[in-house]
Amino acid sequence: MEIAFWIFSAITVLGAIFAITLRNLFHCLLSLIISLLGIAGFYLLLFADFFAMIQAFVYVGAIAVLMIFAIMLTHHVMGDEGPREVLGGKWWAGMGTAAIVAGLLWAIIRKDQLAQVLPAQGAGVPYTKFVETIGRALVMDWIVPFEAMAVLLTAALIGAIVIALEEVIRKR
Amino acid sequence: MDTVYQFLQHAEEILRGIPLIGGLLASLYHALLGGAPEWVLRALAIAIPILFVLAVFPGIFAYTTLVERKALGRIQNRIGPNRVGRWGILQPIADGVKLLTKEDIVPRRADQFVHFLAPVLAVIPSVLLFSVVPVGAGLIPVDLNVGILFVFAVSGASVLALFMGGWASRNKFSLLGAMRAVAQVVSYEIPMVLAAVAVVMATSSLSLLTIAKAQSGGFLNITNWFVFRPWGFVGFVLFTIGAMAESARTPFDIPEAESEIIAGYHTEYSGFKFALFQLGEYLASIAMGGITVTMFLGGYNGPGSGPGFFGGLISMVWFFVKLAMMIVLNIWIRGTWPRVRVDQLMGFAWKVLLPMSIANIIAVGFWHYLTIRPVAWVVTTLWLAIWFSILTKLAGSEKIAQRTYRYAS
Repeated sequence: MEIAFWIFSAITVLGAIFAITLRNLFHCLLSLIISLLGIAGFYLLLFADFFAMIQAFVYVGAIAVLMIFAIMLTHHVMGDEGPREVLGGKWWAGMGTAAIVAGLLWAIIRKDQLAQVLPAQGAGVPYTKFVETIGRALVMDWIVPFEAMAVLLTAALIGAIVIALEEVIRKR
Repeated sequence: MDTVYQFLQHAEEILRGIPLIGGLLASLYHALLGGAPEWVLRALAIAIPILFVLAVFPGIFAYTTLVERKALGRIQNRIGPNRVGRWGILQPIADGVKLLTKEDIVPRRADQFVHFLAPVLAVIPSVLLFSVVPVGAGLIPVDLNVGILFVFAVSGASVLALFMGGWASRNKFSLLGAMRAVAQVVSYEIPMVLAAVAVVMATSSLSLLTIAKAQSGGFLNITNWFVFRPWGFVGFVLFTIGAMAESARTPFDIPEAESEIIAGYHTEYSGFKFALFQLGEYLASIAMGGITVTMFLGGYNGPGSGPGFFGGLISMVWFFVKLAMMIVLNIWIRGTWPRVRVDQLMGFAWKVLLPMSIANIIAVGFWHYLTIRPVAWVVTTLWLAIWFSILTKLAGSEKIAQRTYRYAS
């Protein structure tokens, strides 16, 4: 377990570092995917195999593909002429973001805070009932946020179609 | 894995039960492994399924190519390979030697690293798929309790390999093929997942072994197969179409359409790297066939299958017979159907398959709550028939006109 933790840590951190330092946009995307898969590995270590599969399914299967489309529609994807410095001229923006993220993480990770968020050890559900419990929670206790999210996603889908339709109409 | 371990623990008594050669097998086993420490048995129980997957399914792949070339030959009024060995039986070995000894050409301007990585990555997800397919009663390499999610998570990764190959080649045809592949796989994954959701709803389990178990019983272990339910039949058709499109087989082979874009994403691959792409594609196709069998065609269930040594053997035979039928069905469709056009392909996925798969999920809901079986049969069949007629009518009402091109005339 200990060794696996360090291996997954190395994969995640190295992937993330390469994702921001490589100069070719597509290589950055591939590194990001490796990093996300490392996080899926952490879920496996926590016996949350459902979340591990969802992580791989959603991030590699969907979000990475979305990014591929974004890259395809960008100029100069084949070249290596990305900016050389990671921070560029907007170093203050990067530092600000890093500070906010670090602050949030600090607020969450502090032991006493963590105890408030997570259920106490042992109060969890048996391993085999994991998926069932999540399913019940989603469609019974949290049905309103769940449905609100569905409405939001449908709205986004319709919005995308409307934007695409405008182009078709203008062509005619 | 667990079943193999249990078998190894009690192998001597089980083998002794076989008529005629049982005593010989048992003493052979005793000489080899009698009194072996427990960790040896545990290691063997892990190694045997891995070796099984790595040996049997690539073997099936090799002979699938032969059967495919023979069958396509017959369909096209040719004979097919018959030079290497009787009936061309050694043809796959000859193909392998030929591809291994071919020159490996990498375009100078290609992205060397990604170009090298893509064929490797194309094989890995396809092999991983077999780790959750039950090949017999209780015989599954890993009984993941999120097996179906694993299947979709892993098969989603294969599209990355195709895109990497197409992108790294720095060839316009490769890139076009890669883009087509991404668009196609993303579109057809959705009706496939929703077709699987129907089965998950009916069995309330994501484990493929539990799904296969849920289809046992009934008359001769046959009548409980999900394909003999209205929603199961529709799900089977949806899933088979989706699986065929995901592995880019002929009616849906637009990512590598020879007459349009040379060979698509593997235009710039030669020798063994090309072979690896083919291996990945075929293995994914066979694995999807196995998953279709497990989810809809009763998995390993058939007359005579069941727990125990002999029941297990018979169940394995049933699984592989059904898998062979799915492979032959794939070849048959490939040989007889023309390739669909890009826009027709996308329209079919989004306008016909997607609404149909959602209607199918609602049909499972009817099936679950209408506890009187004849009523459930009538209601679900009617519901699905109405949707089928509406969707096919809508799809057919689009008038067939000359296509307007945006960047060509």
